[in-house]
Amino acid sequence: MQNPFMSTAFKPDLAFTGAAERFFELLKSFSLPGAGAAGAAPDWSALAGSLAGQFEQWLKSSQSAGPWFTAASAPGSGAGFGAAAASFGPLPLGAGAAPQQDAQRSWDLVARLAQLQAQLASYWGEIAHDAAQRFVTRMGAAAGGAPTLDGALKLYELWVNCAEESYAATVRKEEFCRLQAQLANASAALLVEQRRHAETLVRAFGLPSRNEVDALYAQLKELRTQLAELTEARRAKPPQPDRATAGRGAGKRPASTPARDRRSRRARKPRA
Amino acid sequence: MRPFSADASFLAGAAGAFVPELTLRVADTLARLRQARDVTVGCSAKRAVWSFGKTTLYEYLPLREAARDAPQRSAARPLLICFALVNRPYVLDLQPDRSLVRRLLDAGLSVYLIDWGDPDDADRCLDLEDYVERHLGGCVRHILVSRGTSSLDLLGVCQGGVLSLCYTALHRREVANLVTLTTPVDFHTPDNLLSKWVRELDTELLRQSGNVPGEALNGLFLALMPFRLTQQKYVRLLAGNSDQRVLEDFVRMERWIFDSPPQAAVALAEFVRWFYQENRLIRGTLRIGGKRVDLAAIVQPVLNLYALGDHIVPPAASAAMERCLGSRDYTGCGIDTGHIGMYASRKGADEIPSRIISWLRERP
Repeated sequence: MQNPFMSTAFKPDLAFTGAAERFFELLKSFSLPGAGAAGAAPDWSALAGSLAGQFEQWLKSSQSAGPWFTAASAPGSGAGFGAAAASFGPLPLGAGAAPQQDAQRSWDLVARLAQLQAQLASYWGEIAHDAAQRFVTRMGAAAGGAPTLDGALKLYELWVNCAEESYAATVRKEEFCRLQAQLANASAALLVEQRRHAETLVRAFGLPSRNEVDALYAQLKELRTQLAELTEARRAKPPQPDRATAGRGAGKRPASTPARDRRSRRARKPRA
Repeated sequence: MRPFSADASFLAGAAGAFVPELTLRVADTLARLRQARDVTVGCSAKRAVWSFGKTTLYEYLPLREAARDAPQRSAARPLLICFALVNRPYVLDLQPDRSLVRRLLDAGLSVYLIDWGDPDDADRCLDLEDYVERHLGGCVRHILVSRGTSSLDLLGVCQGGVLSLCYTALHRREVANLVTLTTPVDFHTPDNLLSKWVRELDTELLRQSGNVPGEALNGLFLALMPFRLTQQKYVRLLAGNSDQRVLEDFVRMERWIFDSPPQAAVALAEFVRWFYQENRLIRGTLRIGGKRVDLAAIVQPVLNLYALGDHIVPPAASAAMERCLGSRDYTGCGIDTGHIGMYASRKGADEIPSRIISWLRERP
């Protein structure tokens, strides 16, 4: 099943389709015996269990596309290091391509990520069960009436309110926030580690490394800044007449221009 | 494209009576969403007047109706809009009936806007000093020189408001009036979820790991309220038979929400650390380019508009501005909408331009 939380691209029709499908799944849960069906004794625990299960699954499937810092943490899916390495793009690298000690660091980070992902998953379970409990409590009070589309949409609104409330209560907890940060840091550390392997490899092939390119960009930035400052300063000040040529028609053309032109011509002259 | 498939068999009997109607509505909404996919965004004519790196300064052309007062307009103090680095500024000019820019132009103001562009790997070392002093500063200086004036009015939006506060504190003489929209000042209010999440991020690793893709930041913002922002808003389209224009408005917003530029690694790491983690702006410990950013140094009139239902910049985070400024002419106003509603909702489109225009008119 698709949902836009998994893919943060502009695909409104796809996002709508995913949300509509989930809405139908929810209706399926709402229509379980006891969830308001006429004549049946309410079995709220069955409804709560079904909702919580669906919800937890959705949260788990969504987490891999969470904030940028969790996006690289594929090991939680059970796919192992291959998936983690693949999430960093088409680098022909990985723990296996690095020296033994470096490879061990990468493996350690992958293991750490998997451990943190598992901890995160326990929070999804907590949120899902709490949301389902909130929902059946409120639904119990509001149950009754013939099932209509408007009624189903109202029920859906109630469900979303419960889900957001449970989610907000959990994700504000200090332990959760710390876990998110740890996950982000481990993810970024793994990315940096992979880049370090790449640096070693490109040096071996005599190719410019990321650090070297960054240094060049830094120089370029400095030069560009200086040029901008000079241009601004020149534009802000009116051109000063050259003392040597003042009174001889100077000011028609800035004194520095011919000199600059001469330099340009010299620079263009082909070398013997 | 995967077709929509609803397994309606479970809803047999009375409970399933509305399923045919619902299925029809889904199919109809889906077809109309596909029709609306190519909506255009941005409606007012503008021209690029200056650029530096990936940053472009645009000047909006006067509206035909407002052009009658051209001499008056050219004499008026220019207004520069500084948007956030994390989103595209065209949300301020999304469509004719929801365009802050258009309303400002209609009022005869001379409007400029900064587009930060898309930083690439060449820009990963861009820092906040670059953005404040050279990019924003370059735009300000260009306008002042080209218009032959000594000061302008500055309108900062969200993170752009933070940059505008910094710039105004550092360059008092160049800013006559400051307007801020959904701008955080106190990043440690208890209701700031974003701040709680990034409090223990290792910003050195963030800096080293390179530019952050826009999609990743989007994921972060959506994760603040995932059910409302990724599910409910779509299901709500089924609630009524809204006309095609309403759906097009929705798609325009979708386009904007999912169109986020990448973030330069160093600038983002600095922003997270200095503002979200260390709360330097309100503590008075922020330094940019070696100079202290002292909010008490902002003595010019300030209009601060914030959203009362903002989940990204809680109202308290913005309202704290009043306590820190040196200005004796501070107007704070909470608007009853959400963060995005400030730029694009009907309420925001009506109320915000009117407030800005009348406030600026009182401070010529």
